[in-house]
Amino acid sequence: MAPIQTAQVLLSPAELSYLHSSLSLSPPIRPDGRTPTQFRPLVAESDILPGANGSARICFADGTEAIVGVKAEVEKSQWRPTSGEQRRRSIAAVDVMDGEDDSGDTSKSKGMGQDSWVEMSIEIPGFRDDDSLPIFLSSMLTEALLASGELKDKLYINRRFHWKLYIDILLLSPPLSYPLPLLSLTTHLALLSTRLPALKSEQDEDPLFDDDWAASNHLFRRSDPKHSSNNHTEKPPVTLLVIAVGQNIIFDPSKEELAVAEAVLAISCATSHMPSTNPVRLLSIRTIDLPSRLTPPGIPNSMNSATGGNAPISSTDAMAQREALNLSGVWTPPRGGIKRGLIGRILKMAVEKGGVAEEVLEALEKVDVDG
Amino acid sequence: MTSLKRSFASDPSAPNLSSKVYVRSTRSGKVQKIVRELYLRQDIPCSSRLCSICLENAPRDYNNKVSPFVLSDTPTGTESFPNGHYLIPDTNAFLTGMDLFEVETAFQDVIILQTVLEEVKNRSLPLYHRLISLTKNEDKRFFVFFNEFRLETYVARDQGESINDRNDRAVRKAVQWYSGHLQEAVKARGKSIRCPSVVMISDDKDNLRKAKAENLDALSLPDYVSGLKDADQLLDMVSAGKEQRENKSAKNELFYPKYYSLSKMITGVKAGTMHQGIFNVSQYNYLEGSVHVPAFDKPLLVLGRENSNRAVSGDIVVVEVLPKDQWKAPSSKIIEEETLNKNDNAEVEDGEAVITERERRALQEEVKRVQGQSIEGRPQPTARVVGIIKRNWRQYVGHIDKDSVKSTSKQSRSQQTVFLVPMDKRIPKIRVRTRQAGELLGKRVLVTIDSWDRDSRYPVGHFVRSLGELESKGAETEALLLEFDVQYRPFPKTVLDCLPVEGHDWKVPESLADLGWNGRKDLRDLLVCSIDPPGCVDIDDALHARPLSNGNFEVGVHIADVSHFVKPNNAMDKEASMRGTTVYLVDKRIDMLPMLLGTDLCSLKPYVERYAFSVLWEITSNADIVSSNFTKSVIRSREAFSYEQAQIRIDDNSQQDDLTTGMRTLLMLSKKLRQKRMDAGALNLASPEVKVQTESETSDPVDVQTKQLLDTNSLVEEFMLLANISVAGKIYEAFPQTALLRRHAAPPKTNFEELGNQLKIKRGMELRTESSKALADSLDTCVDPSEPFFNTLVRIMATRCMMSAEYFCSGTQAYPEFRHYGLASEIYTHFTSPIRRYADLEAHRQLAAAIDYERLDPSLHSKAKLEAVCKNINVRHRNAQMAGRASIEYYVGQALKGRVIDEEGFVMKIFSNGFVVFVPRFGIESLIRLRDLGTPEPEAVFDAENYVLTVTGSRDAKVELFQKVKVRISDEQEESTGKRKIKLALL
Repeated sequence: MAPIQTAQVLLSPAELSYLHSSLSLSPPIRPDGRTPTQFRPLVAESDILPGANGSARICFADGTEAIVGVKAEVEKSQWRPTSGEQRRRSIAAVDVMDGEDDSGDTSKSKGMGQDSWVEMSIEIPGFRDDDSLPIFLSSMLTEALLASGELKDKLYINRRFHWKLYIDILLLSPPLSYPLPLLSLTTHLALLSTRLPALKSEQDEDPLFDDDWAASNHLFRRSDPKHSSNNHTEKPPVTLLVIAVGQNIIFDPSKEELAVAEAVLAISCATSHMPSTNPVRLLSIRTIDLPSRLTPPGIPNSMNSATGGNAPISSTDAMAQREALNLSGVWTPPRGGIKRGLIGRILKMAVEKGGVAEEVLEALEKVDVDG
Repeated sequence: MTSLKRSFASDPSAPNLSSKVYVRSTRSGKVQKIVRELYLRQDIPCSSRLCSICLENAPRDYNNKVSPFVLSDTPTGTESFPNGHYLIPDTNAFLTGMDLFEVETAFQDVIILQTVLEEVKNRSLPLYHRLISLTKNEDKRFFVFFNEFRLETYVARDQGESINDRNDRAVRKAVQWYSGHLQEAVKARGKSIRCPSVVMISDDKDNLRKAKAENLDALSLPDYVSGLKDADQLLDMVSAGKEQRENKSAKNELFYPKYYSLSKMITGVKAGTMHQGIFNVSQYNYLEGSVHVPAFDKPLLVLGRENSNRAVSGDIVVVEVLPKDQWKAPSSKIIEEETLNKNDNAEVEDGEAVITERERRALQEEVKRVQGQSIEGRPQPTARVVGIIKRNWRQYVGHIDKDSVKSTSKQSRSQQTVFLVPMDKRIPKIRVRTRQAGELLGKRVLVTIDSWDRDSRYPVGHFVRSLGELESKGAETEALLLEFDVQYRPFPKTVLDCLPVEGHDWKVPESLADLGWNGRKDLRDLLVCSIDPPGCVDIDDALHARPLSNGNFEVGVHIADVSHFVKPNNAMDKEASMRGTTVYLVDKRIDMLPMLLGTDLCSLKPYVERYAFSVLWEITSNADIVSSNFTKSVIRSREAFSYEQAQIRIDDNSQQDDLTTGMRTLLMLSKKLRQKRMDAGALNLASPEVKVQTESETSDPVDVQTKQLLDTNSLVEEFMLLANISVAGKIYEAFPQTALLRRHAAPPKTNFEELGNQLKIKRGMELRTESSKALADSLDTCVDPSEPFFNTLVRIMATRCMMSAEYFCSGTQAYPEFRHYGLASEIYTHFTSPIRRYADLEAHRQLAAAIDYERLDPSLHSKAKLEAVCKNINVRHRNAQMAGRASIEYYVGQALKGRVIDEEGFVMKIFSNGFVVFVPRFGIESLIRLRDLGTPEPEAVFDAENYVLTVTGSRDAKVELFQKVKVRISDEQEESTGKRKIKLALL
């Protein structure tokens, strides 16, 4: 995957080494004193843009801040050649007005959604919109949103029309740390608050909507406190950033922690359909190129002319010399991949009942979206 | 993880800032969330004359004046509100009781809340317009209070609150504020003034209860009205309310299918599976409706009550075509509502079926007859109404069916339901609840339809007012004007204010330096004269002709310069554009412009100088036009002739003065022009025209004559046509997008199918319709040597197959579509009668701009505005024609009242159970049903292919199409409409 292009942390090999070793302790000691699963404190609010269908703002304690606005537009669906059963249904749809249809509301839209119905744009100060970071981030976030198929199915109106969702993400601060968690959380919150006008027409008619905004429906159904039976809230997915240092698994890494990470994973999760046993399900995992690979390694005495060593003439020479060293020295950037077992443990921590993902989803839900 | 939510309440600008959020669907299918910010104010006045605080704070206009306060400081009181009261009605009060609010004697000092006004606008546009015109009536003291913008009365919508609840709360809040505010105002005055109560009027029980809980004065509309004088009469004017309808409860079966949802209809119409059009009911058969839709040449038939599904003639409906096995031929039978459903009981709903047994039988016979028949009887696509896009319900004139009244004693004040039979046969009976049934019997009554629910066979309406005794001239004339929507109230003061201050003393200024002479040619030396019907006072046009030195002639048509007096967009112009045309009834003229202009200042009266708009041509003696010229002018007409006088003068060879020779020249040229027109294929059509002679004092009709046509009639007509065509060309050249023109579309071939077939079978004649020329020629061949009237009869019938001509804006049609079919002219407009037609006035303005006389008003540049004008004047024009005809019909009836005359007539149309006879002498046509021929009703065999009806039984006769018959004319009061009508009997 593309490298992280955030501003390089300026830490000396000694500092990096110190960070690495304190994060490798059991339990790890994080520079800001958080527990491994603790998130940075944040300020969040939703429904901040009255003109948008949904919106949110999140500000992390490190000063990074993002705004997300969601706009929905009605679009005519493209005709798709269908086969078998579906084709027969669409032929029946030609004489549109044939009395009552089946009662199921969700079953009809199941699997009808298309990926192109969600469009995301990310704006990061200092980056052009065709730079790799915004593109990479948006494809990663869109992938997570589309992975479950739930969101796009929600955009289905009828066989002829659908909603097109425009998600506009604006990072207000320069990307001090890797902005993925921030953008994901803000998008999640904005989608939670997104409402679509209530549909008045039936079946395959040209859509007609209730002009009362108060009658509009949440894109993601809210849990109804009155009906405890229906306490299950549908939620948009979130993408978490996890690092591993040694045997330790650390969530929501700060930029310093990222600099010494031995593995970085982006995990997308969403609520599952069986809330009682397993509240969160995994949608996707991506590995991300280690920023620590770009950190300056410590220079051993043998390669330092000040200590009587021979400074390498070229970078290939340096590489060859390093490979030959037995002692790792003060700081050597981590190398190699992640062990299977480690990935398994990371996923378990994130997804398990009472795990980090569930905690995050619950916390975000508490941000009042109706105010 | 911690989260924090910023509260909006901490916003310092919050108290006077609010926003309104709603969803807007655009025409292109976009759906947008709209957020409107709202700035709440405290300087919106209460507009009560009691209040001095508001007077100080109220915003001032440019002249530093506050608009005058509306609400009286001593409002009228009632028993329950002795200190006087202001009314604050809610939306439903207006929706159900608009007629009440318009009553002169009650309902004064009414505060219309913005909330209510907006809701009324959303629910019913016509009611909204009536409400707005009420606010302009100074005596009624209606005041629109913008409660949504005033800080104290603004109500934010609560979580989960429905819009209706929120609006109700806004109304209560306004009532509360008003009463508190008035108390303060009265206290501030210090003196012992009575503080009026503020009364909320609502029919919503919940709202009333909540108001009571908040200690507000609140009454339902009936409760309030029963405290007034004439409560009975007033109560009748409340719409058949929801409660009443609810009372009937759900036990009733539903007679009619449910309408489709709007979105379903729109989708269907777009997809072409459904069709939208105007629902028309046949004059002869109230069960047969037709809808002309763009997709088909011929209108779709809608047969029977169930298929017409509560549509009333004139509604815009959506229809669905029925399967082919249900297609039928158009009716050849007369079905009238009163004969079939005489015994319906208005009071009882039970046991009502949509189709009564008799109706069903009548339809069955139809179907039987239709099977296995050719051309005329070929089944046509039928359709059923699945929904209604727009109701075009208006107020209907009618009379009360006396069979439906139970207790006729005038004293009885019990409420009963009666049937109102509308004058217009195409409108179904209307069920009306009234307390004054006894009094209303035998009167012309005005009612409106309120609703037509699925569980009611007939629409439900309410009484508006009584016009007077049936058959009294006043009531019948007013009924006619109401039926054809003719604006007949006197001109309001704002209109009269636009007239020149000099009044009748206005003269063409003497000094040529005067502004009025700017750009005007002095044509006072020309020997101009006017030729009009006798007794004409609004003289639009005058003519002259004189020889030129090169052997050609100069011919001038001079038209009254109305546009000099009626400036665009002032009150008079708006009134004229609304009226659209002057309406001529037999004994009455309803002017488009005030009398002062129409009959004096604009009228080209003889011997006085008048402003005119002149069209001058150089014409060769072969009637070829060398050049044409348009100019504003001043003329002095030498003489005003009647057609007859002019004819006598021309024919009198002893008269050799210049004026008479000029007229002879005109006559000579007009004949050549006419010949050219005829050669080009202009149609010579006929419509039965009669004239009612009235006794000059009482204007009681004494005799009826058919109009005579003289050469001088066509003299004037030819030059008017020529002027119109010349002007049309000129304004189109100047304003290719926005010229106001008149077109007459070529009739679709199918229109002539029936007539052509009839002529072929009965007379072996051929009607060719491929062009107007072919039609004109073939009409000329339709002559029966033994029957000179036959040709006219055919022309009358051909006229009915034509499309009607219409005004249009040139940008909306392609040039070939401009064609005037009847006149065989490429382009045409109306220019020559600006006193009585608004279209001519607009053409004058455009021509004046085209010759650089003045700048064109922006309203004449706008295609959209012109289209709206055209639409209105087209409707007005048609209505005026129909009102005129109906008036003649009424007077013919009156003239023949009590007389019995034997006359010759012609059979025009044949049904299986009757036929229509046209009597040229009186220009009347009337139906003779089988049952009129003898009792018991004779048997008849109808040969639809040969148009022969053979009657046997109590009367033996054979009636054929075009047959000449002897009929006995007498008169009879028609039971269904209460109209006195001619009755024909076959001799």
